Amino acid sequence: MLRLSGLHTSYGPVKALKGIDIEVREGEIVCLIGSNGAGKSTALMTISGVLKPDRGEIEFEGQRIEGAAPDKIVGLGISQVPEGRRIFPRLSVLENLELGAFTNNAGYGKKLDHIFSLFPVLKERSKQPGGTLSGGEQQMLAIGRALMAAPKMLLLDEPSLGLAPIMVSKIFKTIKEINNEGGTVLLVEQNARAALRLANRAYVLESGTVKLHGTGEDLLHNEEVRKAYLGE
Amino acid sequence: MKRFLHSPVAVALCAALLFLPLKDLKSAALLFVFILAGLYAAPRIRRIKIPPLPFKLPRTEGPLQILAVAVFALLPLAVKDYYMDVLIMFGIYAILALGLNVIVGFTGQLNLGFAAFYAIGAYTYALLNTRLGLGFWPSLPIAACFASLSGLVLGVPALRLKGDYLAIVTLGFGEIVRIVLNNWDAFTKGPNGIAGIAPPSMAGISLGKLQHYYYLVFLMLIAAVFVIRRVESSKTGRAWLAIKENEIAASTMGIDTTAYKLYAFAFGTFWAGIAGTLFAGKMQFVSPESFTFMESVLILSMVILGGIGNVYGAILGAFILVIMPELLRDAQLYRMLVLGICLVALMIFRPQGLIGAKDASAGR
Repeated sequence: MLRLSGLHTSYGPVKALKGIDIEVREGEIVCLIGSNGAGKSTALMTISGVLKPDRGEIEFEGQRIEGAAPDKIVGLGISQVPEGRRIFPRLSVLENLELGAFTNNAGYGKKLDHIFSLFPVLKERSKQPGGTLSGGEQQMLAIGRALMAAPKMLLLDEPSLGLAPIMVSKIFKTIKEINNEGGTVLLVEQNARAALRLANRAYVLESGTVKLHGTGEDLLHNEEVRKAYLGE
Repeated sequence: MKRFLHSPVAVALCAALLFLPLKDLKSAALLFVFILAGLYAAPRIRRIKIPPLPFKLPRTEGPLQILAVAVFALLPLAVKDYYMDVLIMFGIYAILALGLNVIVGFTGQLNLGFAAFYAIGAYTYALLNTRLGLGFWPSLPIAACFASLSGLVLGVPALRLKGDYLAIVTLGFGEIVRIVLNNWDAFTKGPNGIAGIAPPSMAGISLGKLQHYYYLVFLMLIAAVFVIRRVESSKTGRAWLAIKENEIAASTMGIDTTAYKLYAFAFGTFWAGIAGTLFAGKMQFVSPESFTFMESVLILSMVILGGIGNVYGAILGAFILVIMPELLRDAQLYRMLVLGICLVALMIFRPQGLIGAKDASAGR
């Protein structure tokens, strides 16, 4: 469904991605793990069009999308939940969700009901300004907002960042749920253990290259991964 | 010594001495007392809790709108020409503030050169009328579209910038327009200005009379409110709001942020063009003096005072800042001083403006 091949991206003189190849098939959860500065978020931002690649190809459903504007890419069916959530703090929860449906408001009511069933707390707080929600609730709102575009693929950038453990497991359960309903997910995570348990397949990035890849299960038992990322 | 220099007395004394060459001893002494009182009061004042508005605004706007329209429609029957004149200027400034509110209030893009587009509107009508003999009505859309187009021309390069940088570029543009008008003698008659602009007429009747002109401005203001409110609650308005709140998040929602910021520039400056034409038609004379940087600041103050992002706030701001100087005519020299104090007080007590769009304190 999504294929990155030989992708290079840089921030000025700093090369953040040095030719990575990643594939996401329909209905999968694919996870990118790696330490700080490995290029995980850069990869996501290059897919979503916020960053322009220097070289390489991004193919989504047979269409080349590298270098297209972010709004065009959302239109094609790739929604991103940005790192740090970036909800609209002064708009109400409902208004945040409405904006999620900006490019695609077909079946608005049904999508809204679906998101309220995934995250009942958002319904309770639908009139409250987004900025007054707790961190976990804001993350739910950010995911719900991305789902309002009815994307074919969801890009999640560190959804567990700064959340209490109970919230992390709730968010991960929801990601699984979204996947069970047929959603394709590309997940970037620092919380490698939880992410690998969840993922069908995973890629380990290290300083801008793919170091390892395999099924989540395999990597969870891989000696190197256990040492470097699982702290064993 | 060092302690004395940092004391409020020293600060007030310095300010008063600096002021002395500009005015007489009495006003310098007055200033000294005011600044001293202000400096002593400021830390204490902040602790005072200001209650929310003492009355509740009705949920539906209908009755208020009808009341406001009725009052303003009946005013010419009751008031003297002098007030008519002031009210016409209020209407023109209200349209300007509404236009700037689209850019600053809805979309969150600072613009410190709005008077340039007001000038472009006014000069377009002045030149079309005096050189080509074109009347008010055909000139109105041309002037508005021309102002709008210049908004786009400025927007394309300027909107790559954000915040302070955007403010400086727009400020520079405002000055460029004024200086060009001032120096291009052959075309704009420079600082002498263009006189003898025909007032508009309708069905053969001239609208030059103050009462008639009042109704014309008033109808334009209603049209502006109506159109801007419609756009605000449309998809475009939502996109502007998202850009104001968080530009990166807005682009991940699939909003083409560059295009929507340009729409805001073009749409806001369109109303500046309308206001400029109305101004030229009323004064029957334009000169670069009317479109200085202070004018841009004044329009921005109206938007901020009334409440950023609120259509009625912009109108209220225009009303206060047009009427207030008329009431303070005797204290003309202190006008800007009073205005500054009012704005500082506003930032402390009601940062969202008198009737702000959303409570700014709700989370960040």
